[in-house]
Amino acid sequence: MKFSYNWLRELVPGLKMDVTTLAQQITMKTAECEGVHDPGAFAGASVAAVARAENSEPDSIIEIDNKSLTNRPDLWGHLGMAREVAAIAGLSVADPVGELPAAASQGDLSITIDDANLCARFSGQRVENVKVAPSPLWMQYRLNSLGVNPINNLVDVTNYILCELGQPMHAYDADLLGNAIVVRAARKGESILALNGEKYSLTEEDIVIADAQRPVGIAGIIGGNDTAIRDITRRIVLEAASFPAANVRKSSSRLKLRTDASQRFEKGQDPENTVRALARAVELLKQISPGSEAAPPIDVYTRKSTPPKIQLDVDWAERKLGRKLSTEEVINIFQSLVFGVEQADARKLVIAVPSWRATKDISIPEDLVEEIGRMVGYASIVPQAPAVLASPTARNLEHEQHRAIRAAMVGQGFTEVSNYSFISDADAAMFGYLPEKLLQVANPIVAEQKYMRPSLLPGILRNLADNSRYFADFRLFEIGRAYEKGADGTPAERTHLTAAIYGRETNGANLLEMKRVAQYVAPDCKVVPAKGHVKTMHPERAAHVEISGQQVGDLYELYPGLLDRGRAAILYLDLDALQALLSQRQAYRPLRRFPTSSFDLSIVAGTHELVANLENKLRQFAGDGLISLQFLLIFPLPPDKKSVSFRLTFGADDRTLTADEVTRTRERIVEGIKAAGYELRE
Amino acid sequence: MTNPIQTIKDLTQSALGEISAAASLADLEKVRVAVLGRKGELAGISKTFGAMEPEDRAKAGQLLNEAKATLEKAFEDRKQALASSESGQRFKSEWIDLTVPPQGIAPGHIHPVTQVQDEIEQLFTSMGFRVLDGPEVETEYYNFDALNIPPDHPARDMQDTFWMTDGHLLRTHTSPVQVRALQKYGAPIRMIAPGRVFRNEEVDASHEHTFYQVEGMMVDRDVSVGHLIYFMQTLLSSVFGRKVTVRLRPGYFPFVEPGFELDIQCLICGGNGCAVCKQSGWVELLPCGLVHPNVISNSGLDPQEWNGFAFGLGLTRLAMMRYAIDDIRLMQSGDLRFLNQF
Repeated sequence: MKFSYNWLRELVPGLKMDVTTLAQQITMKTAECEGVHDPGAFAGASVAAVARAENSEPDSIIEIDNKSLTNRPDLWGHLGMAREVAAIAGLSVADPVGELPAAASQGDLSITIDDANLCARFSGQRVENVKVAPSPLWMQYRLNSLGVNPINNLVDVTNYILCELGQPMHAYDADLLGNAIVVRAARKGESILALNGEKYSLTEEDIVIADAQRPVGIAGIIGGNDTAIRDITRRIVLEAASFPAANVRKSSSRLKLRTDASQRFEKGQDPENTVRALARAVELLKQISPGSEAAPPIDVYTRKSTPPKIQLDVDWAERKLGRKLSTEEVINIFQSLVFGVEQADARKLVIAVPSWRATKDISIPEDLVEEIGRMVGYASIVPQAPAVLASPTARNLEHEQHRAIRAAMVGQGFTEVSNYSFISDADAAMFGYLPEKLLQVANPIVAEQKYMRPSLLPGILRNLADNSRYFADFRLFEIGRAYEKGADGTPAERTHLTAAIYGRETNGANLLEMKRVAQYVAPDCKVVPAKGHVKTMHPERAAHVEISGQQVGDLYELYPGLLDRGRAAILYLDLDALQALLSQRQAYRPLRRFPTSSFDLSIVAGTHELVANLENKLRQFAGDGLISLQFLLIFPLPPDKKSVSFRLTFGADDRTLTADEVTRTRERIVEGIKAAGYELRE
Repeated sequence: MTNPIQTIKDLTQSALGEISAAASLADLEKVRVAVLGRKGELAGISKTFGAMEPEDRAKAGQLLNEAKATLEKAFEDRKQALASSESGQRFKSEWIDLTVPPQGIAPGHIHPVTQVQDEIEQLFTSMGFRVLDGPEVETEYYNFDALNIPPDHPARDMQDTFWMTDGHLLRTHTSPVQVRALQKYGAPIRMIAPGRVFRNEEVDASHEHTFYQVEGMMVDRDVSVGHLIYFMQTLLSSVFGRKVTVRLRPGYFPFVEPGFELDIQCLICGGNGCAVCKQSGWVELLPCGLVHPNVISNSGLDPQEWNGFAFGLGLTRLAMMRYAIDDIRLMQSGDLRFLNQF
């Protein structure tokens, strides 16, 4: 939104502040100023030429961020900003609107509002004997420098008032418009050729201004072409109305048509402003289309609301701001902002909100605290530590776990990545995810955003492919949320860890390295071989990761076809499941008082015999005295055998074992192993 | 018969020569055994004392003891010298080059956003704020309604929010955790909620549809703007590692009233104006404000009794500021050439 510094000075007589200071003050107290520009910056050289021709003082344009005006409909015109400037500078506003003429409810022109929900107020006025001509240069200069193209005097007056009072207006050629104006919902199948030359198909959700024959305007957005001002226009009907913000916003966004008018109605315009705009227009027309004659305005006000009065306790406001406030100071602030003030007692006020601040902006005492705060200046508040009860801060055990796992992974050479939460249709198919179990995005921008990821693997796979172009060996991991439809159909989120060890040359040997990492991160876990059951797993190199018999993840080699080159070991852990199974603190075991004895055994078994299987057998035959069973090595015996060596350690709590006892134990185990069909290697 | 006294003198002389001539600890030991041993030469001499006059015997005995002491000291000195030269030789042979790069796995790297998040979690934990999480797939209620964002607010437009086909949405900010926290834990409360948020936007160097925020909230009795400024100044001074000057100016967010934009004095130019702060001396950093009474009552608490402040800080933005990262897309790229720098 652009504001002319000269215009503001005109509306605030006596304003001495230079434009830079003014812009800073507006930023600190009202809305964010994005810069101060020369008017030519928006309208080109013509502006300067006009200024020279007119011999008027060159202007400066203050550019305010529209986003900082969303809750301030009153600031969408110069008068609203002038009120702020006056309050900031301690001056008063000169209202450009003179006395309001008496309005009739109906006349030659009839106005009907079908449904009060569609239009709070509609004010119209016929003006006869107008003559279409270019506007005077001062008006062209002003419009131009605010980025509005001058068209002709009649249209320019409506735009000028939009910029001045913030009230959108429209001028119809009265000879092309019927005498009965209706505000109604558009009918199904209705359409309108608008002023911009585009044809719009309307729905029952849109509001139109119509005469008996047809719609002549889309309410609050744009006028129709059929009733537009022509060069030969002699009589016009001026419209100044108030339409509901939500309807205008919906129509404007569905029709993809944003106009200066819709932008203002979306914010919630003050219905009190309609007749003021008409009065101002009639007065301007007298100047720039001499001889014009206005009929009395017709005003239909279906929904008049009384601006609220709010109780304000100054002590309470003090506590909110954390700053002392005198009652007088507060009264001055509200008076300078043209609020009504009644003093109920020494520290209690009743504040009457002006109509232009009441549509959306101010309704509760907290809103008044903001008015006080911004006007005294937030810089006048001294930072203060609160007095609070000292108590231990509750811990977030999940975050502590994630932090510990991250530290462990980084120590093992893994780098943390962060991937998107989305996957594509192609991903779902490639990874074998069932679409009916996935959360689906209703409005993706690109195809990669079709579903929410049920696993971090698709992202990790992309990281492997991308990074393999630059690195021969690397390790990476991600901790993040995975999403699925829960049992009852509602979204379920779990935190996963997925880690990968990639090697361009390795032949999957690093799967055991990944097992070491898994046991480092989750010391209680067991790796239990399982056939690779999904498309992403090497069928012969896969296992479950279990804690206390419950599966908490998978350890596997990535299905070799998924990477163009190289292989990868993958570890997936469900960190929520892991968190629930974290081991409890245990009492320590006393140190052994008597020496132990050890011996080694090498068992010859088939190539596919599981080491875990041999360990189980050894434990079974060894009995109670076994203190530890340590795997030493595997020695291949081609073509189809291998030798697996273990160290067994025995001991007793109450004595030293005799040599005889150890020998007998060894013989017992050897016998058992042989009976089970294995040989022993000497 | 030879004079024992002369014999002791001669023996001492020759033994001293042999000790200093010994080239190794083993040679030295041979000398020691031959001279000082139980059956050594000095011991042999003492056996001849029996034939001497008592006077002479005492004299010879004294001399023998002196010779023994002299030789033992010479022997120890030589032993020390030989030992240190021998281990010196061994150490020399054990020299290694410590400029050789070590073998094994080099440590990995933690994502820059995680690093910033960890730091902020620890800082706020130390100030009594608990760290909370909320769902990323949220309901419209928690993301908008409960936060006093009216149904016709532009932020609800399709183009800003990722919607799920089942009517859920991806949270557009971490603010829903405000209401969830108040409902679950009540007041008073001090909490932060870091996490991933989503905006349905086209991606370019400065826009991402996925980024990280941290929400902060304190609800108690009589929480003021002064308290808010205190915490923001403390937080930001710690984050940036030096005293940071902040200022508040009006800002509009439906879930706070009054609402503020918080600016910090430009850390590059110190407030004099430069390209980073667009010559203004200030950099807009975070939105904040006093929690709107509707948010308090939507959380099941009485806004007459409880009030508070809230703020939202962009973790991704903070990480970008800290490391001068000029392309936000790198954050979610998984590119190790980038991530290995942190």
